[in-house]
Amino acid sequence: MRNRFDEQLAALNRELIRMGALCEEAIAMASKALVDGDIKLSNRVVAVDSEIDEMEREIESLCLKLLLQQQPVARDLRQISAALKMITDMERIGDQAADIAEIIGFLGGRTGEDCEYIRLMAQSAIKMVTESVEAYVKKDVAAAETAIKHDDIVDDYFYKVKTSLIQMVAKQPDDGEYALDLLMIAKYFERIADHAVNIAEWVIFSVTGVHKGEDI
Amino acid sequence: MTKKIFRSVFFVAVLMLLICFALVMWAFYAYFNSVQKEQLKTEIELVARAVEKDGMSYLVSLDTGESRITWIAADGSVLYDSENDPQSMENHSQREEIREAFETGNGESSRYSSTLTEKTVYYAQLLSDGTVIRVSVSNASILFLVLGMLRYIIIIFALALIISVIIADRVSKKIVAPLNSINLDMPLEVNSYDEISPLLTRIEEQRRQIELQVSELEERKKEFYAIIKNMNEGLVLVGKDGKILSINYAAAAFFSTNTECVGSDFLTVERNPAIEKTLKTAQESGHGEMQISRNGKEYQLNASRIEVDAQSSDIVILIFDISDRVFAERNRREFTANVSHELKTPLHSIMGSAELLENNMVKPEDIPRFVSNIRVEASRLLTLIEDIIRLSFLDENTEIPMEDVDLYELVISETKVLSPLAKEKNITLTSEGEKTVINGNKRLLHEIIYNLCDNAIKYNIDGGSVKIKVYKEENNAVLIVSDTGIGIPPEDHQRVFDRFYCVDKSHSKKTGGTGLGLSIVKHAVQCMGGKISLDSYPGKGTTITVIFKLVKDAAE
Repeated sequence: MRNRFDEQLAALNRELIRMGALCEEAIAMASKALVDGDIKLSNRVVAVDSEIDEMEREIESLCLKLLLQQQPVARDLRQISAALKMITDMERIGDQAADIAEIIGFLGGRTGEDCEYIRLMAQSAIKMVTESVEAYVKKDVAAAETAIKHDDIVDDYFYKVKTSLIQMVAKQPDDGEYALDLLMIAKYFERIADHAVNIAEWVIFSVTGVHKGEDI
Repeated sequence: MTKKIFRSVFFVAVLMLLICFALVMWAFYAYFNSVQKEQLKTEIELVARAVEKDGMSYLVSLDTGESRITWIAADGSVLYDSENDPQSMENHSQREEIREAFETGNGESSRYSSTLTEKTVYYAQLLSDGTVIRVSVSNASILFLVLGMLRYIIIIFALALIISVIIADRVSKKIVAPLNSINLDMPLEVNSYDEISPLLTRIEEQRRQIELQVSELEERKKEFYAIIKNMNEGLVLVGKDGKILSINYAAAAFFSTNTECVGSDFLTVERNPAIEKTLKTAQESGHGEMQISRNGKEYQLNASRIEVDAQSSDIVILIFDISDRVFAERNRREFTANVSHELKTPLHSIMGSAELLENNMVKPEDIPRFVSNIRVEASRLLTLIEDIIRLSFLDENTEIPMEDVDLYELVISETKVLSPLAKEKNITLTSEGEKTVINGNKRLLHEIIYNLCDNAIKYNIDGGSVKIKVYKEENNAVLIVSDTGIGIPPEDHQRVFDRFYCVDKSHSKKTGGTGLGLSIVKHAVQCMGGKISLDSYPGKGTTITVIFKLVKDAAE
């Protein structure tokens, strides 16, 4: 009985890693599509997003099944409940990557090259998602904390993107729509970074039992 | 074994004790009986004589003590008994001892009482008057005797048992001790029982054999692991449950982990969906492969299922670095594209001019210009094709005829050929040096010097200069061509030797370069076993140094 439970937990762990990897892929593809202006690639992001959605449902039902059938306690319970929370954030990351891909379609072949910061911001956001997934894989609290710290960098980039877009609109008022699209993309990247922070926080919880510095 | 020996020794001790006890008892009893019988005989003789002499009066006066005396008449009726009233006693004529006495004069018998606790021995003797006198003694039976002594027997028995336990224990331990002390690694070292020495010899022999085989296996295993661990290709063995069974250094570096990840889930090491998909393909169909670029290099991943038995099907992943192949392929593609492009451009120009001429759309005074244009472009095409032929000739790398050539002499003749071109561009072309003989091919050396000088003149500034220097340095001949030209930016240093690579496309068109010159030079130098190096800064000019091996005889 116990062996079966351990096996199921290991399976849950594997599925979560897979889902995290898919999120990394989705956001990396969205970012590449933005830099290269590749609309075909951006269409593929949507496919990955639906794959992520499906995985969320699968993991969710696996978690519920484990909770009901095995009635886990302590560490196991933490792991499962953290997984339940994490998949929500991962699913949102996938959605936002798909949203970015959708906006890239509206850019009409223009790339994000007019705004250097948005590229750097995308890179930082990808790095954060990678870091938080890596922290989960290695159950590494220090790595999760690093990922959380990096959110400030992304926020900083968002501010810079905003400023540079304001200047751009001031110079070329015709580019208003383009600038707004870029701003939305930037906002999505900023949201993705926030979700990465959430994931990292749940990683810390699943290891230490402390969430956002509070014992729950 | 100790237990068994202990048990046997103990059993023997107990058995011997019991037997001895029984025998001793029996012997004592027999002896005791015979003594009693003798006494009884003596007593009856005495009594018989006395009765014959004194009759009843003796008997009445006699203190019988332990023994019982009975006087029986010839008809068997009891005349006197020392214990009972003779009147109440039955006729004794049928008693065994009495009967015997009547018949033979003497009779004896022994009877056990009803409770078996007593044994009575009777002796009867016929008197001269036909009566019989009988003496009997009752004494405890052997069983009663034993029962009476039971307390002592038990005490003695217990003592004997304790002693035999101790001795049996000691003895069994002592017997087994040498067996226990046998060192199985060195069985012949301790001298123990002769009986087991053949066995020990055999063990020693087999031990040596096993040791040899184990060390051989170990050696082979070590070799195998050393090869696997240190080979350039990455190797990972993934179990059926997705756990890493083995990983070598190259693979660990590829997955940016260390070899301590053995035993953990493969997903924790690598979660790239594409790689996972390849593994899945391998698991299902037996083989999967993919290419992936990582850390600026191209890798090929081959995953294969290995089936040891029906149940387990592990997956082995091989990772090759195929950067060189991929880059070579890319270069070739670029080369083909470049060649077609370079060949097409002059042809377009020729076609255009020719069409205009054909349709009489050129003013008569412009005709010479157009014709010359066609000629120039055609000659450009020719140069290009010649260059390509030369390059492919060098690529073939066929045996090049080598001879002793004076490098300086060649330089002087090249400067003569090129001086008109230099004058045209207002460039001073100077050469200095001494006779330097090397082993090489004259035609290739001509290509080298010509192309280098041609480049130096072409990519020069107005009023600049080109210096050619030839000198010996230890065992080497050094050829230096330096100019005061436009120079090459450092980032292009690597690529200027590539085919069709020009630092500045527009400029090269103006100067008529094909982008093949330096490529030819590099190939030619390599064909003759020389070395070429480049030193250049934009705006400061370029210095190209070519080093050949000196011919020894000529150098001396």
